Amino acid sequence: MSFELNASLAARRAPLPTTASIDPVTANIIRGALETVCYEATTHLGRAASSPIINQSNERNAAIVDAHGRLAMGSIGTPHLTFVSQLTVRYGLMQQDHFDWGPGDVFVGNDPDHGGGHLPDYNVYAPVYDAAGDLVLIQALQAHQGDTGGKDPGGFTLDATDIFTEGLAIPCLKLVHRGEKRRDAIYLLERNNRFPSFAGDLAAMIGAVEKASASIRAILDKWGSDVVRAAVNQTIETSERQMRQLVSDWRDGSYEATVHIDHDTVGTKDVRVHVACTIAGDQLTVDLTGTDDRPDLVGVWNTFANSRGYIMTQIASTIDPDIVKNEGLFNAVEIILPEGCIAHPPPNKPAALGSFHPACEITEAVCVALSNVAPDRSAPQVYKIGMPNAVIGFDARGQMWMDQGVDCRSMDVSAVQGIDGWGSCPVALGNLLLSQAEDAESRFPVINISRELVTDSGGAGRWRGMPGSRNVKQILEPAIAMAWMVSHDHPISGLEGGEDGSPYLNHFQVGTPDEYRVELTARAQLPAGAVIAYQHGGGAGFAPALLRDPQAVCEDVLDELVSIDAARDRYGVVLTGSLADYSLAVDHAATAALRGERMAA
Amino acid sequence: MTYRIGIDIGGTFTDFALLKGGEVILHKNLSTPHDRSEGVMGGLATLAAGQGLSLGDFLAQCNAIVHGTTVADNTLIEMNGAVTGLLTTDGFRDEMEYRRGFKESIWDVRLEPPQPIVPRRRRLTVPERILADGSIHRELDEQAVRDACDKFRKQGVESIAIGLIFAHANGDHERRVAQIVAEEMPGVPVSLGHRILSRAPEYDRISTTVVNAYVAPRVNAYLERLVERLAQSGYPRQLMVMQASGGVMTRDYIAAAPIRVLASGPAGGVMASAHVGAAKGHSNLLCVDMGGTSYDMSVVIDGAAPAQAGWNMHHRYLVGVPMVQVETLGAGGGSICHVDKGELKVGPASAGSVPGPICYGGGGLQPTITDALLMLGILSTGEGFAGGSFRLRDEGVSEAFAAIGAQMGYGAEQAAFDCWRLVNANMTQAVRRTTAAKGIDPADMVMLAYGGNGPAFAAIQAQDLSIAHVLVPKASPTFSALGTLVAHPSIDEERSCTAPVDALDLDRLRLLWGELADNAKAHFTGAGFDAAAIQATWRLNMRYGGQNWALTFDMHESCGLDDLSFVDEDISARAITAFNARHMAEYGHIRDGELPEITGVRLAAHVATPMPPASGGFSAPMIEPAPAGHRRANLGTGFADVAIFKGPSLVPGARVAGPAIIEEIFTTIVVYPGWQAQVDDAGDYALVRLP
Repeated sequence: MSFELNASLAARRAPLPTTASIDPVTANIIRGALETVCYEATTHLGRAASSPIINQSNERNAAIVDAHGRLAMGSIGTPHLTFVSQLTVRYGLMQQDHFDWGPGDVFVGNDPDHGGGHLPDYNVYAPVYDAAGDLVLIQALQAHQGDTGGKDPGGFTLDATDIFTEGLAIPCLKLVHRGEKRRDAIYLLERNNRFPSFAGDLAAMIGAVEKASASIRAILDKWGSDVVRAAVNQTIETSERQMRQLVSDWRDGSYEATVHIDHDTVGTKDVRVHVACTIAGDQLTVDLTGTDDRPDLVGVWNTFANSRGYIMTQIASTIDPDIVKNEGLFNAVEIILPEGCIAHPPPNKPAALGSFHPACEITEAVCVALSNVAPDRSAPQVYKIGMPNAVIGFDARGQMWMDQGVDCRSMDVSAVQGIDGWGSCPVALGNLLLSQAEDAESRFPVINISRELVTDSGGAGRWRGMPGSRNVKQILEPAIAMAWMVSHDHPISGLEGGEDGSPYLNHFQVGTPDEYRVELTARAQLPAGAVIAYQHGGGAGFAPALLRDPQAVCEDVLDELVSIDAARDRYGVVLTGSLADYSLAVDHAATAALRGERMAA
Repeated sequence: MTYRIGIDIGGTFTDFALLKGGEVILHKNLSTPHDRSEGVMGGLATLAAGQGLSLGDFLAQCNAIVHGTTVADNTLIEMNGAVTGLLTTDGFRDEMEYRRGFKESIWDVRLEPPQPIVPRRRRLTVPERILADGSIHRELDEQAVRDACDKFRKQGVESIAIGLIFAHANGDHERRVAQIVAEEMPGVPVSLGHRILSRAPEYDRISTTVVNAYVAPRVNAYLERLVERLAQSGYPRQLMVMQASGGVMTRDYIAAAPIRVLASGPAGGVMASAHVGAAKGHSNLLCVDMGGTSYDMSVVIDGAAPAQAGWNMHHRYLVGVPMVQVETLGAGGGSICHVDKGELKVGPASAGSVPGPICYGGGGLQPTITDALLMLGILSTGEGFAGGSFRLRDEGVSEAFAAIGAQMGYGAEQAAFDCWRLVNANMTQAVRRTTAAKGIDPADMVMLAYGGNGPAFAAIQAQDLSIAHVLVPKASPTFSALGTLVAHPSIDEERSCTAPVDALDLDRLRLLWGELADNAKAHFTGAGFDAAAIQATWRLNMRYGGQNWALTFDMHESCGLDDLSFVDEDISARAITAFNARHMAEYGHIRDGELPEITGVRLAAHVATPMPPASGGFSAPMIEPAPAGHRRANLGTGFADVAIFKGPSLVPGARVAGPAIIEEIFTTIVVYPGWQAQVDDAGDYALVRLP
């Protein structure tokens, strides 16, 4: 629990010892088998869990870590979780004798100061031993929990000053000992969670990880553990080699970017993330020196493991999607996180909100920097949202309910070179299914009044950012609504001359004399019938808007994604005809003249 | 003599299975893409001639013509359906765009959006709102509907989807909107969400409705043309159409929701598998169909292939109607072998039939799996290929694999062998994922292999999956057509209804099941079936509060649809018992002290119709035929001289020990080392792994 521990957790690991040699095709076949195990584990968990965030939002992830703590295989879910998973396991591994590891054991960890992301991300993992009793691989499964037992339901505490405010921090706790559940430990976890559905989630996680370990064991038996070790070594080496090859094709140089968060959770303005991505031959170095380190900042501390993971998430989206995601990527990239900055906090800092910000600004800054060398694959894999409107109340039986506000909406979908922003999220989040009105309204006393795209809220560009949605919700019974607003002053960054995305906005008590805008944070008691409205930020544009195909602008106006005024003012496109009867057409001469004027200006 | 005819239209061939008493006659002719009904009529004429009858006399003696069509699939592949408009509730204009956040790749930032069926300008909203309990929160603004119709008219809209929030709980507003649309835009077909898919949540229902509206005009026009042609030629009965649920139903029923035929092609093969497997005493099957471009996998459990409603993504659109679950991998005979960043890869790109594999001699230059099989000696240039229609050629094949080998550091034969290994592994992993999603261990199953390339890989894959028994039916080349004859006329629909299991409103359950029963009865009796012959399975959808995916299970079975007496005070207790058993089987745990909720009622109704014969058994005297020849081949353990047998000359009782290759007319069966093939009494192949 120190900067030294973090350094040793992140240190490069040696390949697994093996005497077997392996051909690349066999290595690939074994890799495929391990990937399938991860798929099986997440599928099982998704089907058996009861919390919407796991079974509906799919916020879960499986990974296989090798006996040296290297990421051998990451599978579906979100990249943001995949690249965080190995450090929690590494901490346990470092203590394996001390904590009496053995076959049939299952552990859990979530402590940000022991390799974790943030407290809600429980990492349940099981070591797998071969017939000779040697530890070969570890199956890990991560899922976001609905609660962590801290001050506020849901695990996000706006005024948290330390990790203990946020909930129960678990460095490494054994849940199953040699195949027998430790009911005392499991009950301890259940006791520290507000929601009854947690017990089902935890049982599902343990069940899934045990099932996956049995599958890994079958793979070890089939191929022999020495061959599997050789396969893991080879796939990691292959990814590193491919990554380095790709980096060596990028132009040498140092590319810097600065991205700001509007404020921390108590209003300290303009929290800064700075990155320098340096390419020298086949070596990529990502250095966050220059990132904010004001010790009195509140809520904007991203844990060490998370910072590494979010950097890698952006890098992984910038490379050929076929390169296998494993430890090889970390081996190919040097990551420098200065001690004490918001990307590498001192021990005991609160961690929950850091997974939003600065985590996403770190990702965004890496994107902006790398867009200099890989413009065709640059789009920030982020959620610029602060904290959605979580609505909490109590039902007739006194049971607490919480609508977490992960409703269908579009936000932060920036354009990429050649393709307008589309859908409701950047691709990295494309596995997370958003909540539906008909599910939420069957469960909670709320009405989803509207959640449509807002005209002109997509960043203008030669390729346009996807507009953001405005989600309007009515609360039918008195309830508490909580939110943290950012990305209003500093919306998502445009690339290569494209405009930034549009700002986030949030209003409570909409349509009443008491209506107000939430500018920083809210923890409001709202009366029955209150309406809240959350405007999500649109994605950013790519390349200058004046270069956009005028016909594409005309189509956008027909679809009411862009207004006639914005077509002229932001895109320099003059239209004739009328929207009402779908007769709009580009006035090419007037457009050329207007654009000429603008470009000259 | 009376006949039953199954017809399945594929991309290249239209397949026919004629059931004549206890005999099945198979026929294939080329499809006619410009008007597929032509190929159908041509084939029927050939079958009639084979029976010594005029087409009219032949059709008059047909008790049933059952048809599987890919028109809906083709419409979505080619994206040439109707100009479609969506009318939805104010505030919900963009659900089709959001897709609940789903994107097909989490790593590829260059992923392109799906081509929109309803661009935003054709997604219009009307003020109205129904709540979860079916109550009306905001009245429908009828003028807004008329205004929307005006906008649709201006845009040349040809088909309209109506998808309102909570319409499955109360369909009044959707029905009223449909009436107004009918007044404003007479003749324009409408698809109503609560009729197409009566379940939450909104994206599932609205997307399904939109896709229905998009494909409906083409599917209906095609079926209408076919019905007309059949009637003109003397067919006196209703045309039956295959549905993705694995059942067939009248064209009239399909016309109300043509989305039900989407993905119905593979369902026929699965139905045939279940039928053939059952006849041989195997009720748990892994069905694999490897053709030229894809490898389709499905499972039959306890003799059935249950259709699942819900998150069925097809051609990038969510289609929530019940579908027999068929997973597809881009691996087939035409899959291209290549080296990418130093790694050997197979597929997913396919050479298709044009230019095709190099060995087809059609100008293909990229090596494919079929070429690899030729390199390995599994296929040969010596005999006619694909029913004798042409011969494979080896020019350029070895060179292509040598080029791959050069990049990998070895020779051509090793390259071909590695491609074979790799595609095998890809298929094996795909099977594991398919069965994992269903909580099944493939080792407990029998593999049933069909499609042109399935039998070449079946046994080796079975071995990888610890499966000891493989079936290769003789009829496998026209398996989907056979399947349409196996499928029963059936209707499988549900109604949404959410309530805690300990507080069920029995009258509401009776009402909803009664509605489903009335609808089914009307269609069955309309098609000439006796209402008393309808077999009904009454089902519940249940889950724990908070779970997203409900489990569906049978509550009651009955003959006829009138008796709802099983909906009694005890039903809660029986439902809990059944739910617990399913949850335990599926997930390995149940929750102490927590009661589940029901989310809907479902009725699966069918009528039994005559089946093509299927049998098994090994009563014929065992013989070990002499091989027709030998050739050098690598069946996974290195090149050796391998015995070659001619399938058509193998009679029931014939036994062939591996390593061996059996050349059938439309397929090649590989008997891998350690395996043995035996022809059963029905003439089908059983491949068994020797202990």
